[in-house]
Amino acid sequence: MVEMPKRRDILAIVLIVLPWTLLITVWHQSAITPLLTIRKACHHLVKEIFIIPERLAARRHRLADDGAEGRHETGQGSDSKEYCSSDKDIVEVVRTEYVYTRPPPWSDVLPTIHVVTPTYSRPVQKAELTRLANTFLHVPNLHWILVEDAQRRTPLVSRLLRETGLNYTHLNVETPRNYKLRGDARDPRIPRGTMQRNLALRWLRETFSPNSTQPGIVYFADDDNTYSLELFEEMRSTRKVSVWPVAFVGGLRYESPKVNAAGKVYGWKTVFDPHRPFAIDMAGFAVNLRLILYKPQAYFKLRGVKGGYQESSLLRELVTLNDLEPKAANCTKILVWHTRTEKPVLVNEGKKGFTDPNVEI
Amino acid sequence: MRLRFKLKTVFILYFTVSLLGLIYALMHLGQHCECSEHDMTKDRTISRLLGKLHSLQGHTKKEPTKPHLPTIYVITPTYARLVQKAELTRLSQTFLHVPQLHWIVVEDSSQRTDLVSHFLEHSGLVFTHLHIPTPQDRKLQEGDPNWLKPRGVEQRNEGLRWLRENIWAGETAEGVVYFADDDNTYSLQLFEEMRWTQRVSVWPVGLVGGMRYEGPVVEQGRVVRFHTGWRPSRPFPLDMAGFATSLRLVLRNPEARFDGNSPMGFVESSFLQGLVTMEELEPKAEMCTKVLVWHTRTEKPKMKREEALQAQGLGSDSKVEV
Repeated sequence: MVEMPKRRDILAIVLIVLPWTLLITVWHQSAITPLLTIRKACHHLVKEIFIIPERLAARRHRLADDGAEGRHETGQGSDSKEYCSSDKDIVEVVRTEYVYTRPPPWSDVLPTIHVVTPTYSRPVQKAELTRLANTFLHVPNLHWILVEDAQRRTPLVSRLLRETGLNYTHLNVETPRNYKLRGDARDPRIPRGTMQRNLALRWLRETFSPNSTQPGIVYFADDDNTYSLELFEEMRSTRKVSVWPVAFVGGLRYESPKVNAAGKVYGWKTVFDPHRPFAIDMAGFAVNLRLILYKPQAYFKLRGVKGGYQESSLLRELVTLNDLEPKAANCTKILVWHTRTEKPVLVNEGKKGFTDPNVEI
Repeated sequence: MRLRFKLKTVFILYFTVSLLGLIYALMHLGQHCECSEHDMTKDRTISRLLGKLHSLQGHTKKEPTKPHLPTIYVITPTYARLVQKAELTRLSQTFLHVPQLHWIVVEDSSQRTDLVSHFLEHSGLVFTHLHIPTPQDRKLQEGDPNWLKPRGVEQRNEGLRWLRENIWAGETAEGVVYFADDDNTYSLQLFEEMRWTQRVSVWPVGLVGGMRYEGPVVEQGRVVRFHTGWRPSRPFPLDMAGFATSLRLVLRNPEARFDGNSPMGFVESSFLQGLVTMEELEPKAEMCTKVLVWHTRTEKPKMKREEALQAQGLGSDSKVEV
């Protein structure tokens, strides 16, 4: 008789304790795991997933390193903020092998780089756009806004864009021709590419609202320049307007902003009119999309712009010298070259054209 | 009796309450945690980045083992000038998309330069870095038009020599040799066209020979003549960028090389003549109707102001590599 109550007591105790143990175990698993992840990850905050084609030994940092020490600390949620605030432990995650996916998979985290390229028909156009596309296919989260200087979107460009697989927007606007001049001359008072870049700005303002949280950077890339892949990663962290040196402009090896010891731009290292408000080439700066959207009146000035003042006409409406962010190791590295392609000499075509005009070049 | 009865109700009550509590907890498990003391945006970013990283890692592992692709050996002669780094940069950006590509860069120099060495090391490509200087009498002088003397002859021959000495000439030597100058523009499709060359394959080249494009004319799957605006009587009126040779053919004919003394426009013929006949040529690029490579040339940048500054001793920092 004594054993019966004992068994019942045990049963009672088990039934009392069981729900609580279950509750505690399950509750902790859900609440503590994110805490543990924060513990692990905050020690090694991943800055960005940088896909570099390195064929050397792995420099990939393993995030599971200090999992052991993470598990000891439980229930101290209020301290997590202090752990996360340290920026010193930021490491880049570098991949070893290059994966032949073109373009790289879209990331939810990286700001989108909107590249605005004005283009116009000429024999080297397809070649220029091809090698430009080959460059862009390496850059994650790139959106190419190609604006043709043409009455209608040409099939050559449409087909090329489709076949690259890039994320693109194809626009067109024709610079009015100056009928007084012979041939195919455009209005010389409007600098080349201005109307096209302005159209792209307008498109951006119509497509994105200032309240949206999609981060973006706007970069004006001409179709004959040469861009290193590093450049795009440098501009991705632009907060307002970032600047860097450009090679082969202004009759120099390179033109560059002058940066003081405090990391602020205070002048321009150029020979050609260094007193311009922004003595910089179109390829030498990038603007945060938010700034473009907040200042909807800012456009490139169409007429009455002196040579070399195009960039200033836009930038002075967006930012002051003090707000500029120098990139490329405080403007000491060249990451973009203002190359120009020779005009091919088509002497042997003759008046009637020797080659089959149906073959697209 | 009464006591036990009370205990029983208490017990049952307690049991029910705890069961309800447990169910409540289980339901709220997968949902948003109202822990406001955490920095939620950072958490979200971190977990998203981790997720991205894992998916990318998984992606690399999942890449299917491709069937063995023939290697494309690209021989590029190069020489130091202002736009050299820019040209090599955008060339490498094209080559990085091509699997199984081995870049042989041959500098026109008596020793390897730092610029090219560093560049190749960080390019991410499989490369071989060679160098051989062009003899002075073969070099173009200042003011010479660029077609006066053939350029890159010694460098291409050096590339061929390296291949012959270093690649095992076994029966299974599978590969293609392509001569790519550093200022041309190449589409990615071109490399897939040339990869399966058996002897010598050919295709049109854009913007060359004073024409929109130059190339072979194909009838019934065979090359019958060449479409060119200049001296079509040449044995092979092709541009350097308009053909590729199979590795086997190169290794089996160790004497085949470019002749720098050949008359203008005959350099390509001097190499191809001993290797193949016109009938044996394999036409690519949809029977030579598509242009997949362009003979672009880059302007020499104007350095008037730089030269003026340098005369004053105020030239731009030479330590900055351009």
